[in-house]
Amino acid sequence: MPLARCWLPLLGMLLIAVAPLAARAADDDPFAEFEQQEWEDPWAADPGGLSWTGFAEGALGARWDSVDNLDRLTLGEVRLRAETRYDGEAFSVDFKGELNLDQVTDEIDASLRELALTARPASNVDAKLGRQVLTWGTGDLLFLNDLFPKDFISFFAGRDEDYLKRPSDAVRISIFTAPVNLDIAWMPDFEPDDYLYGERFAFWQPGAGKVAAPQPPRRADEPSDDELALRLFRTVEGTEYALYGYIGRWKQPLGVDEQGRPEFPRLHTWGASIRKPLYKGLFNAEAAWYDSRDDSSGDDPAVPNSELRLLLGYEQELVRNLTAGTQLYAERIQHHARLMANSPDPQAERDQWRSVATLRLTHRALQDTLTSSFFIFISPSDEDFYLRPSIAWRRDDQWLFSAGLNIYGGSEDYTFFGQLEDNSNAWLRVRYHY
Amino acid sequence: MKRISLFTLAAVGLLSAPAWGAEPLTDVAEIVERANLASYYAGDDGRSEARMAIEDTQGRRQLRQFTILRRNESKGGDQDFMVFFSRPSDVRGTVFLVAKHMDRDDDRWLYLPGLDLVRRISAGDKRTSFVGSHFFYEDVSGRNPADDEHRLVETTAEHYVLESRPKNPGAVEFSRYVTRVDRETFLPMKTEYYDDSDRVYRLMEVLGVEEIGGYPTVTSSRMSDAISGGGTLMEFRYTEYDVGLPADIFSERYLRNPPIDWLRRGGE
Repeated sequence: MPLARCWLPLLGMLLIAVAPLAARAADDDPFAEFEQQEWEDPWAADPGGLSWTGFAEGALGARWDSVDNLDRLTLGEVRLRAETRYDGEAFSVDFKGELNLDQVTDEIDASLRELALTARPASNVDAKLGRQVLTWGTGDLLFLNDLFPKDFISFFAGRDEDYLKRPSDAVRISIFTAPVNLDIAWMPDFEPDDYLYGERFAFWQPGAGKVAAPQPPRRADEPSDDELALRLFRTVEGTEYALYGYIGRWKQPLGVDEQGRPEFPRLHTWGASIRKPLYKGLFNAEAAWYDSRDDSSGDDPAVPNSELRLLLGYEQELVRNLTAGTQLYAERIQHHARLMANSPDPQAERDQWRSVATLRLTHRALQDTLTSSFFIFISPSDEDFYLRPSIAWRRDDQWLFSAGLNIYGGSEDYTFFGQLEDNSNAWLRVRYHY
Repeated sequence: MKRISLFTLAAVGLLSAPAWGAEPLTDVAEIVERANLASYYAGDDGRSEARMAIEDTQGRRQLRQFTILRRNESKGGDQDFMVFFSRPSDVRGTVFLVAKHMDRDDDRWLYLPGLDLVRRISAGDKRTSFVGSHFFYEDVSGRNPADDEHRLVETTAEHYVLESRPKNPGAVEFSRYVTRVDRETFLPMKTEYYDDSDRVYRLMEVLGVEEIGGYPTVTSSRMSDAISGGGTLMEFRYTEYDVGLPADIFSERYLRNPPIDWLRRGGE
């Protein structure tokens, strides 16, 4: 990796990391100072000004294979986060903003992760308006009925897992009644995923028949339609039931328009989930029907087919501080024969069933300050995998050091994880919380 | 000299005997039940602010600050707990919800504000660190007295000394624990946990008790790692009982959107 490209994140990490060496001297009674401190009121209506928190983070990551048109650097940034919350009598406002100096894109990016007003317009109604992160569903890093935007670039590059979820500009209304609760999220503008488009990672190019990073990197035009997501949910005796609906578009430009440009075809989804204690752990099951509205008969190769998606999961603590979670996931293409009959390249089309199994192992040690995590996706149908080991050391309330790998592989270049093989990377982050 | 010290000891013993000179209890089940109620069931519900100073073996210190809401479904029975973290900044906004059950595993959820994720936590081991401290989840919400066999080993002027052994030794990390229960308040004032080689490896000491709303309440306690030397000091302030918490507070709704009116000091 050319050092010139990563001097800024390196400098940031160094500055962030040398500071703890000048740590405080130990005193005799470690708790004396603590006992004399005043208790500030975290919920005060008038705290006399906003209290600001956040972090500074330096991050570096690099791939080990060289790819045409792409840097070795997959992650190189210094990020500053500021957060605050105002609690008024009738409403609250949350703010999370960031400044990111990105060496990979050579950009300084100011972004708003959250700016939302929360209120209770009626005793059984909550409303949250503005930019916010939205999540629901029962999967672990697998999303069936959660059609809120994901940031796969951050996920594959080794940013904190929080960044997998992109914020949406949304109106969320939650209505709570005795038999059932209802969540409605309305997005006035379609909120797509942050998908691979050639800037940081290479992927399968159906037109070219190979894995590459398209030049110049280009995102598809985003339609300005609105999106609507619904959830009906209820918890009975520790068992969580939910029904879901979504009216919008495929979150990635999986369609091709008449000029051959990628586009976001229309999509409706319907689904259900259950999560409950089972044996010594937790069981979850979820299903979703993806109704591809622009290709109902399944014979248009330029638009994705409708799909059924199914998930089963189980998680249990194996021994003290070691938790294991496993999931079985499947996607079934509705009109596979018609897809194959009409495909320009049937060889590179998916099988009717795509199956994925996942395993997550999480180990906590040293009084919960050292967390090791191992996550693997394996697809028996696609013969590919994605391995995500990571380790994080929370030195104290300020310093967090973490490192990990993203390893992809597969027997074919066109499968979901197999196409990412050349993007396998290692990453390192240092974060200071203030 | 010897005579004086014996006399002094006797006088101290007399002075510190229970105020009404009540007959000490001899039924271990009754002592255990009253200690459980005094420790975890004061009032029909409660609200308290808490903070912890966690010190590791190298002297590094971490702080936690949180507000706890608790509601009893019945005395000595099922309970709901909700813990709202306000410090440090990386856990601010995190909320922990526990539905404690007598007849089955507790239900536990964690709300992670960064992902807007309501994560369910598998029941599993309650004897693991509570948010990085030396206290366990079970120390905060209470260990089911029916999980251990209890024996009254001594009644001193101030304490009932109980020895407890697990009914299922494979499920816990201790071989036994010895508790000194205050004869007046029934609060456990000191608990020593013994490992398989019969060493005290974990020690809980109550450092401060105040009477709040008619209930003797622990305001300061410390859990120490008796072998490696680290420890956590936990303090409670602004404790209120019988505030009238509605049952529906303890739900996904208030994980995502905290019930601020109930969290404020003297709220609602």
